[in-house]
Amino acid sequence: MDAATAPWWIWPLALFALTYLLGIVAVVAGIGGGVLFVPLVGSFFPFHLDFVRGAGLLIALAGTLAAAPLLLRIRLANLRLVLPLALAGSIASLCGAIVGLALPTDVVQIALGATVVAVAFLLWRTDPAGQLASESDALGEILRLKGEFHDPTAQMTIDWRTHRTIAGLAAFAGIGFFGGVFGLGAGFANVPALNVLMGAPLKVAVGSSGLVISIINSPAAWVYINRGALLPLLAVPSILGIMLGARVGARLLHTMPAATVRRVVIVAMLIAGIRALLRGLGLWI
Amino acid sequence: MDLDHEIYARWLDRLVRVAFVLAALSFALYVSGVLTPYVPLDSLPALWRLPLPEYLARSGAPVGWDWLPLVARADYLNLAAVSLFALMTLVCYLRVIPLLPRLQAALAIAQVLVLLAAMSGLV
Repeated sequence: MDAATAPWWIWPLALFALTYLLGIVAVVAGIGGGVLFVPLVGSFFPFHLDFVRGAGLLIALAGTLAAAPLLLRIRLANLRLVLPLALAGSIASLCGAIVGLALPTDVVQIALGATVVAVAFLLWRTDPAGQLASESDALGEILRLKGEFHDPTAQMTIDWRTHRTIAGLAAFAGIGFFGGVFGLGAGFANVPALNVLMGAPLKVAVGSSGLVISIINSPAAWVYINRGALLPLLAVPSILGIMLGARVGARLLHTMPAATVRRVVIVAMLIAGIRALLRGLGLWI
Repeated sequence: MDLDHEIYARWLDRLVRVAFVLAALSFALYVSGVLTPYVPLDSLPALWRLPLPEYLARSGAPVGWDWLPLVARADYLNLAAVSLFALMTLVCYLRVIPLLPRLQAALAIAQVLVLLAAMSGLV
């Protein structure tokens, strides 16, 4: 069926189905849904990329907001750790959203395609377990970037702290800017920044990454809302789909083969990224 | 668990549930045709493929907070429901600021100012 002649109701239905599936695989693969949503919907659905990025920010926001209460309660997300990082990221995401909406669409398409392909390779190559910080740096000590959590698999309570705070703040500013431009949560970048760069335990990095996204994406989302770049017919079914799918994904987390799901996600990202690149270059409209 | 974490988690949990239900209800009213949208559903497929400036010019859709008087229209009722997701971090921060140590409270106040600047539409 030609997208131009298809009835309008096909698209919210298709979005709901797609985001429900994305919600499941995103949780199992340990990524945010936005990094799949924006290139897939931007490349294979009839919506302009401006609206897709607005919806992408909202689904990343809704998914992480829904997960944050549980992550805080089980101490995998730490508000004190997140406060300074989210502030740096929020200022940058606000700037990123303004820049992203001002850039020509083909430039954004090309940059998005190249970025998604690069992230797919990064996910493929990265060993997520970094070296834990043994001591705080001076700024981390002042900001009290430390805590403890109980790891049920190791049957022990782990005291943790972070280091390289200035580099961490710079990294989250970069991640926030990038998320604002492309309408992504960028969880794939948050986790290495917290774990590999700042030395937080992997579980705390994954948990706090969700909380960071829920804060960083809010100012960028307001830019898209205020500029009129949020189409409810696109955003609402996507939000409902990803939130329901994420609940299923959380239940399936222990039974689904995470390595296989991760490979499927990487292939989907490569396809969507290459499609976005070719579309931006005018080679495959 | 620290009190600030507990209260942040509790408030966020409730706000997310409310926003989810409101989004689902408002969307049902929108697509069922019970409430009339500002931009007719049938005209959307011709509009949603356009770049933002062209979409705004052709649809007459408002920008900034000018959509607020249109909240009785189905599409803007949905926008209001979706906006709740972008609003709830601000609400949770305001709730926990009095519970935070001085330095963390200052960071949280700065975050609130960033969110208010973004919400205002002035940036």
